[in-house]
Amino acid sequence: MKETDYKVTLSLIVNGETRNVRVLPQRLLSDVLREDLGLTGTHVGCEHGVCGACTVLVDGAPARSCLTFAVQMEGHEITTVESVARDGELSPLQQALHEEHGLQCGFCTPGIVMTFEAYLKENPTPSTTEIRDVLSGNLCRCTGYQNIVAAILKAAATLREKGVE
Amino acid sequence: MTREENFTHIGKPLLRKEDRRLLTGHGRFLDDVVLPGALHVCFVRAPHAHARIAAIDTSAAVDMSGVVGVFTGRDLAEWTTKLRLAPPIEGLQPVEMTTLPVDRVRFYGDPVACVVAEDRYAAEDAAEVVSVEYVALDCVTDTDAALADGAPLVDETLPSNLVSQQSFSSGNPAARRADAHAVVEARFNLHRHTHVPLETRGCAADWDAGRAHLTMHIGTQTPHPLRSQLASRLRLAENQVTVISPDVGGGFGQKIALYREELTVAALSRHLERPVHWREDRLENLTAASHARECHCRTRTAVDPEGRILGLELELMEDFGAYCFYPANYMARVVAMILTGPYRISDYAFEVKVALTNKCGNGPMRAPMAVTSWIMDGTIEAIARQLGLDPLDVRRINALTQDDLPYTMATGEVLEDITPLETLEAAASKIDVAAFRKRQAEARKQGRFLGLGFCSVVESTTYGSAFYKAAGIPGSGHEAAWVRIEPSGAVNASVGLMGTGQGYETPLAQAVAEGLGVPPDLVNVQMGHTDIAPYGMGSRGGRGATAGGGTLYLCARKAQERVLTIAACMLNLNEPTNLRLHDGQVERMLDGRWQCTGVALADVAKRAYLEPTSLPEGISPGLDVSLTYDPPPMTYSNATHACEVEVEIATGRVSIDRYVVTEDCGTVLNPVVVRGQQQGAVAMGLSGALFEQVIYDESGQNLTATLADYLVATACELPDFEIFPMNTPNRRTPAGIKGMSEGGVMGSIGSVALAVSDALAPFGVVVEQLPISPQSLRTALRGKRPETGEKERME
Repeated sequence: MKETDYKVTLSLIVNGETRNVRVLPQRLLSDVLREDLGLTGTHVGCEHGVCGACTVLVDGAPARSCLTFAVQMEGHEITTVESVARDGELSPLQQALHEEHGLQCGFCTPGIVMTFEAYLKENPTPSTTEIRDVLSGNLCRCTGYQNIVAAILKAAATLREKGVE
Repeated sequence: MTREENFTHIGKPLLRKEDRRLLTGHGRFLDDVVLPGALHVCFVRAPHAHARIAAIDTSAAVDMSGVVGVFTGRDLAEWTTKLRLAPPIEGLQPVEMTTLPVDRVRFYGDPVACVVAEDRYAAEDAAEVVSVEYVALDCVTDTDAALADGAPLVDETLPSNLVSQQSFSSGNPAARRADAHAVVEARFNLHRHTHVPLETRGCAADWDAGRAHLTMHIGTQTPHPLRSQLASRLRLAENQVTVISPDVGGGFGQKIALYREELTVAALSRHLERPVHWREDRLENLTAASHARECHCRTRTAVDPEGRILGLELELMEDFGAYCFYPANYMARVVAMILTGPYRISDYAFEVKVALTNKCGNGPMRAPMAVTSWIMDGTIEAIARQLGLDPLDVRRINALTQDDLPYTMATGEVLEDITPLETLEAAASKIDVAAFRKRQAEARKQGRFLGLGFCSVVESTTYGSAFYKAAGIPGSGHEAAWVRIEPSGAVNASVGLMGTGQGYETPLAQAVAEGLGVPPDLVNVQMGHTDIAPYGMGSRGGRGATAGGGTLYLCARKAQERVLTIAACMLNLNEPTNLRLHDGQVERMLDGRWQCTGVALADVAKRAYLEPTSLPEGISPGLDVSLTYDPPPMTYSNATHACEVEVEIATGRVSIDRYVVTEDCGTVLNPVVVRGQQQGAVAMGLSGALFEQVIYDESGQNLTATLADYLVATACELPDFEIFPMNTPNRRTPAGIKGMSEGGVMGSIGSVALAVSDALAPFGVVVEQLPISPQSLRTALRGKRPETGEKERME
């Protein structure tokens, strides 16, 4: 049998759109997103689930796309960083990361954005300790985390204000 | 150098231009570069620390679906030249390496073959079935073993594993020791680190057979020097190679050298006449990219009864690993050169040795001289301990004061425009040492152990060409820039730096804006493309601001002069005196104030490009200015770090309660970016001092090959940093810039180590070996009880 004979056809829901791909069953979700669908905002930093750079949302919850096979994802809603800004407008979290200088090289940033887009929905009033605890699933080698924490606090406040409006 | 004291754009806290693309997933990193038809490679790596390659059987791999070919060191030896490092440095052995090993591997992870396939999955699968027959050889995994009689040679062309040895003496430290009130000895062992950029290495090589031209996409700190290396190793002319660096996900010194894998990929693209793509995985990055640090240091200090240092001697031994991508004395030399730093020490000697071992080769990592400030302030603490003095007083009595400056260090380095005593006093005052000591005493009564550590840093930055010349290192420290005002008045500029996440685009635009007289958002700074940027020396050694920003600033001033010369003609003035460009408008000094002339930069640009016949005599068309600048041999920034810790005796856990930095890094281009660099540097130092460690077992197996084993600090382990800027401009550089971003690593390693020693003083435990892991502290504390009734320290 040729290798192509093993390929399977998948129907994925990515950022609200149905995308069909034909891939080998061992293909990682991270590679399908990046290489087959061209969504290169999801980054691969370790391929063993520690660094968190590849974090995407699966049915609204953060997941490591480097530890997930694409074939597992049929019928699930996948959300990537490309969908976070709407109509060219940064989300309150993205805007706060910009204003607080919460990123440097930016390689870990999409994973952090996805983790906290979800977490701030779950917990709109996080404490610094809670933020640091959740953030510990994402490694950042540049910032020392201080400004990321400040940005998340600011984003939470902005989101609360918007919710009240 | 003349300096304007009041800046319009320099020093403003502007937010970064890069952020938008990085936040929305539109950054473009190496692995996002897709070359149509690209092949993918996977390296086959040695499972032994030291072995002879007896045979390589590639047949099974070649037969696999999707595999294009498997190549070995013999192939690469035909297509490329060796790297030879033989700078004329006394005591340094000349070394050579082939592109891939041909008959012997020297460390666990050494690449022995390379599989090329249609995609990465196929390449990785095929790499599994490349069969290499090895004959294992004895190995050396530490410097003692490396230098023992009869030790196996890491590099068989050398007489021993001692690859470099230099000594130096100024004054007469031996005589000072003989006459001293006391001689204090102290030890400092810094462990092996690796850089861990979140984005691993990688490259995409694209050989255009028709044009005989190589385009190399690669995340690099030094595009032009890398291009020179690539061309030379491939026997190509420099105009046959273009290096393009996309966004880079962190470098920290790991992305300077041309590595063997990258050269292999480039050679394969030429051989196969196809684009070839390689992205390193994390295992490779941790085990085989580049390591750093690992040195054993000892000081012997002659002192008088008040703790005044009369003479200082340093012995330093670095474990360099198996291969030299840099002259082996490159990093250790700087430690020895600047050791005395903030203190007045005229009698000084050092002996620096560097040994090869069967480990991944060393390279510079953010603050190659990281250990320096721990050694120096740790020595001060040892003096205070032995003599029963207040360690802050020992610092004060030895500190350089403004009256001492400019101060020529024993090694000949000149310090000026620094403020070591001032940053020390500021940090002590921010901490409120007396209040801390009271808290510490109270806590000790309750069986809790708090500690406070101070560490003063004098950070060498910039490294001008005179430094390279004096050090005997090939290369230069000058920088090049161009500023081009386009016909519409839009401003493009370029410089030979390449950022790896620092956020250059905004501060460098501010430097151009300041020099030219336009708003920073009008300026687009282009970096990383060797066909666009002028030949510069890239980003390393805290040179971005002074060399890069300084060159751009000077170039932009030159451009402003040209603009004003044309503007004077347009305004029917004979001379451009009393004219300036401000906010993109030409202004004239009339009646003691700047007044608008109605001529804008765009009008001048239009004249320069489209109406050249109307230009003043002697002015050629266009507005394209370039300039090179060679900064001073060295600029120095300084800082004091203060760290408060608590050590949990039962578990050995160290928590950081407070962290203060007072830092004087001269004129700051952009305080947002500078603060980010300060925070990041301290974080990297603390992470290294407390958690990170490359561990090899005695057979040379790397035991820290995942991020679950090589531990990088997370958000839970690091505190907020309180940073207090104190900015004394450098008198010799454009705009008074000094350079920074490595000192934070130096200060944090020292301050946390000294804080833990302070906490454990009642147990008589002094930290002499990093990292300060729970295991190492428990080992040191086992069976020890705190002294009771300890005398309160005098403040």
